[in-house]
Amino acid sequence: MARGFRLSSELIAGVVVGAVIGWGFDRLLSTSPWGLIVFFLLGFVAGVVNVIRSAGVSPERTGR
Amino acid sequence: MIDPIHQFNIDKIFTIGHIGNQEIAFTNSSAYMFVSVALISLLMIGGVAGRQLVPGRFQSMAELSYEFVANTIRSNAGSEGMKFFPLVFSLFMFIMVSNMIGIIPYTFTVSSHIIVTVSLALLVFLTVLVYGFYKNGLKFFKLFVPSGVPIYILPLVVVIEIISFLSRPVSHSVRLFANMLAGHITLKVFASFVTMLGAFGFVGWVGAILPLGLTVALTALELLVAFLQAYVFTILTCIYINDAIHPGH
Repeated sequence: MARGFRLSSELIAGVVVGAVIGWGFDRLLSTSPWGLIVFFLLGFVAGVVNVIRSAGVSPERTGR
Repeated sequence: MIDPIHQFNIDKIFTIGHIGNQEIAFTNSSAYMFVSVALISLLMIGGVAGRQLVPGRFQSMAELSYEFVANTIRSNAGSEGMKFFPLVFSLFMFIMVSNMIGIIPYTFTVSSHIIVTVSLALLVFLTVLVYGFYKNGLKFFKLFVPSGVPIYILPLVVVIEIISFLSRPVSHSVRLFANMLAGHITLKVFASFVTMLGAFGFVGWVGAILPLGLTVALTALELLVAFLQAYVFTILTCIYINDAIHPGH
């Protein structure tokens, strides 16, 4: 259970941070909804990167 | 009777003062923080007071916890990371002792509130940022530029790395908070099944054996989780500090 929590929290954190950045970007520059769309997807990618890193699946290859 | 959330209530014990219109109160959460700090001080100061060559029970507990944290830092952040030993050791002991206290029935678990874990995680995050810039200057930005990435996808990778870096305090704090919250709620729910089934008479008592056994097993699991989450928090702190000392993958 601890491992599952660890990996899922990594993924959710990435998505949430991406969404928050996108939302703030939209509010500041009034580009709604493009900032949210782009940063949400980027946040998802960052979350997946986090999960791969914290799962320890070949850190050599992900760094390159 | 069946209210698994009630254990997380914050109760005011007395008021210290006001800042603006905001009341600053001494709550049960603060009280349990003081209890865990007092326990740690008792263990560490009382443990090393004897200073025997052959350690007694207390002294070996204090020495074991020192060795454990020191080894974790050395293996994850190198010997340079030992500069941060006071911070990491305080974090580990505070989280572990307050989690252990939280398992005792009728007590309050400090780390089951996200504001506590967020402040701990932000402390680590800001330490990494400030020390990283202090030690490496602008080279600290190398953390966001992995080596060997082709130039045409580099901007994308840098943005992803920055989001990944910013998501660290979130996952760092949510992990500890969610584990403690979920564990304590599960424990309370299974324990309340015992009393609910017990109300059905003899058949209920027989049926209550299963949730009772599960509650006992879950308490043991929670003991493991309490230690493990403190350890995971410590390891991640070491990994982040390692990034501040040696940026660039």
